Amino acid sequence: MKQIDILIIDDEKKFAVMLAKRIELRGCTSRVCYDGRSALQWIKENRDPLDLILLDLQLPDLYGTKVLTEIKKIDPSIPVVILTGHGTEQDRKECEKLGAYMFMHKPPQIDEIITIIKQIKEQGAN
Amino acid sequence: MLKRIQGFMKSIWPEFHNHKQNVHLDSFYTFTDYWYLWTMSIFILAVTALSPLCIQTFIHHQLIQKSANTEAILSAERLTSNAKRSIAFFMKERMDALIFTVNEMGYTKLTDNDKLAEILKNLKLGFGGLSDLSVIDEDGSMVSYAGQFKLEGKNYKCQPWFLHSLKKKYFISEVFTGYRDVPHIIIAVKSIKPDKSIFILRATLDTERLMKTLNSYKTNDYTDIFLINHNGALQTPSTNYGDVFKQTNLEISTYPTNTKVNMKSFQGIPVILGHSFISTDMVETPFILMVQKKKSGRMKTWVELYRKINWAMGISIVLIIIVISFASTFMINKLYHLEMAKAETMMQMEQSQQLASIGQLAAGVAHEINNPLAVINQTAGYLKDLYSFKDEPRNDVEIVDNIDSILDAVDRCGTITQQLLGFVRQFDIKIKKIRLQKIVSDVLSFHKKEAEYRGINVTVSIPDTIPDMETDSGKLQQILVNLINNAFQAVDEGCCLDIIGSQIDTKTIQLVIEDTGCGIPEENLKKIHEPFFSTKHDRMGTGLGLSITYGLVKKLGGNISVQSTEGVGTCFTITLPIKIQEGKLA
Repeated sequence: MKQIDILIIDDEKKFAVMLAKRIELRGCTSRVCYDGRSALQWIKENRDPLDLILLDLQLPDLYGTKVLTEIKKIDPSIPVVILTGHGTEQDRKECEKLGAYMFMHKPPQIDEIITIIKQIKEQGAN
Repeated sequence: MLKRIQGFMKSIWPEFHNHKQNVHLDSFYTFTDYWYLWTMSIFILAVTALSPLCIQTFIHHQLIQKSANTEAILSAERLTSNAKRSIAFFMKERMDALIFTVNEMGYTKLTDNDKLAEILKNLKLGFGGLSDLSVIDEDGSMVSYAGQFKLEGKNYKCQPWFLHSLKKKYFISEVFTGYRDVPHIIIAVKSIKPDKSIFILRATLDTERLMKTLNSYKTNDYTDIFLINHNGALQTPSTNYGDVFKQTNLEISTYPTNTKVNMKSFQGIPVILGHSFISTDMVETPFILMVQKKKSGRMKTWVELYRKINWAMGISIVLIIIVISFASTFMINKLYHLEMAKAETMMQMEQSQQLASIGQLAAGVAHEINNPLAVINQTAGYLKDLYSFKDEPRNDVEIVDNIDSILDAVDRCGTITQQLLGFVRQFDIKIKKIRLQKIVSDVLSFHKKEAEYRGINVTVSIPDTIPDMETDSGKLQQILVNLINNAFQAVDEGCCLDIIGSQIDTKTIQLVIEDTGCGIPEENLKKIHEPFFSTKHDRMGTGLGLSITYGLVKKLGGNISVQSTEGVGTCFTITLPIKIQEGKLA
C-alpha cells in the first residue's frame, strides 16, 4: 500500500520541520514548503498525487486562500487542511467555500492531525 | 382610599426624588438638577397662568369698588334731595299758612287773643307742628298771644330773630331757646297795620315734628340725618355729632343750589356725606340738611360679591397649581426616564465598545502568540517523540514528564488564545430554529456525572408551551455552558441548581439560572462582566467567561442581569427574543 504523502506549507520553518518530522515518525511521508509559489510549483511537478496538504494562511508571498484556489485548480481532489494562527471567521467561511477539508487553529495537536490522516486514508480506501 | 392618595401623590411628586446614585451611570447624565427644572417649570407655568387671573380679579375688585361708591353716592344723593324737599315743603307749608292768616284776618282780628287762639287751634288741626302764635308790634312788644307758654307782655326788640324779621318780609329763624327755654324755630311774617305801621305775626314751630319728619328718612342705623345752621351748629340731634346746639366741624364750602354728596372720613370710618341748603321760593332758611351714611352699610351686597370672586379665584389658583404640577411632574418624569434609559444605553454602548476594543487587542495578541506556541508545541512534541518512537525507546520518565508539562502549558495557552479569538468571533451569528429544552439538556448532559458525583440537585423547569426559538444555537449553547460551568464551580456538595424558563410575552422568553452556592460579593458584582476579571486564580479562570457571555447575550438581542448575596446564592436572569431580528444586530 502506498504511503500517505503530506505536504506542509508554512513559513514558520521550525514549526514546519518539527511537524514534518513528527508525522514521519508516525509512518507518513511529508514535504515542507516555506512559501506559496514554491509549493504550487512543487505540486505541479510532482507526479504522484498528494494525499493531504496542511496549509498556513499567512505566507510571505501569497495569501493562503489564493494558494488554496490554485491548488484546487491543479488538482481538486487533494484534501487541504487549513492550519492557521490568524484565522478569522471570514477566513473560515472563505476557505470552506473554496473547498478546504478542515479549518484548524494553531497550535495543532499531533493526535488531531493523525486522526484526520486516518479519516482520509479510510475515505481513500472506500 | 389610601392607595388613591398615594397614587395622586405619585403623579404630583416626581420620581427623581427617589433617584439612587449609581457611580457607573452618573457620568452619562445630561441633566442633573431636576429639582431646579421641576420648580422652574412649575414656577414659570404658574406665573404665566395666574398673572391674567390675578390682574382680572384686581380689575374686578376695582370695578366693584367703583360701582359700590357710585351706587352709595347716588343713593345718598337721592336720600338727601328727598329729605331736603320734604323739610322745605314742611317750612313752606307753614309759612304759606301764616301768610294766608295774616292776609285773611288782618291786624285787628289777630290782636284779639281769643281769635288768635282759635286760629292757632285751626292751624294745629290743619297742619300741625305749630306750638303758639303771637302778634308783635314794631317796637318789639307783644300785642297778642295764643299758646301754652306765659309770654304775654314780653318785649322782643333786642332778640336777633325780631331784628331780622323787621328787615325781611318773611323770616325763618334758627333753633334757639329764647324766653321759654325750649328749643324752637320761629316763622315770622311782616305785615302792615291799617295805620301803615308794621307788625309781625310770629308762629313757633315745634322741633319735635321736624325731627319726626327727618327721622322718617332714617331707614337704618348706618344713616344719620340732621340739620345744622350755616355756622355748623346742630339744629336737630345727631347720632354721630351729639345733641342740639352742639358745634360740628363739618365744612360746608359753597352754597349749592342742588344737593351735594362727598366721600369723607368720620372717626376713621369711610362715610358718604350729603348736604343741601334748605330754602323755599319765598324765603331762605338758616338750615342745612346733612345726611351722613356709613359706607359699610351699603357694602353688604358688594362684600358678598367680593367673597364670591375671591373664592372663585382661590379655587382656580388651586386647580391651576394642581394641573401645572401634574403636567410638570409628567414632563420631568418623562425626561427623567429618557435620561435614565439614555444613560443605561450609553453605558452599555461604552461597555460593548470597551469589550470590542479589548476583543480586538486580545485577538491580535492571540494570533501573535499562536505561532510561537505552535513552534513550542511541535518542538516539545518532537522531543517527546524522540523518546518514544526511536528504535530503542529511552524511557526516561522524568524527561517525558517535563515535556508533558510543557505540552500541558501550551494546551492551556492554546485554550486561552482560542477563548480570546472566540471573543472576537462572537460578532458573527448563524440563525437556526431550536428548542430551548433541548439546548439546556444538551449542555447539562456534560455535567451529569459531575452532578451525581458531587450530589448537586439540578432541576430544570421549562414549560412545553415555550415556542421554538429562532436564534444562534451555538451562541446560546455557549452562554449556557458558561453560566452552568460558573454555577457548578460556585456550588458545594448538596447544593441546588435551578434552571427555570418562562415566556414573558409573545416576543420574549426568560431563563433564570439560580444556584445556592457561594454567591458574589457586592463589590465584585459590578465587575463580573469586565474582561479578565476573575477570582478563580487557583482554578485557572481566564476572566473572560462572563464577559463573553455578556457580549453573546447582547448579540442575540437579549439582556442579562445578576442578583447575588454572598453565602446565599446567585441568580442570573437572561431575557432573549424568541425570534432574533437580524436588522437590529450591529
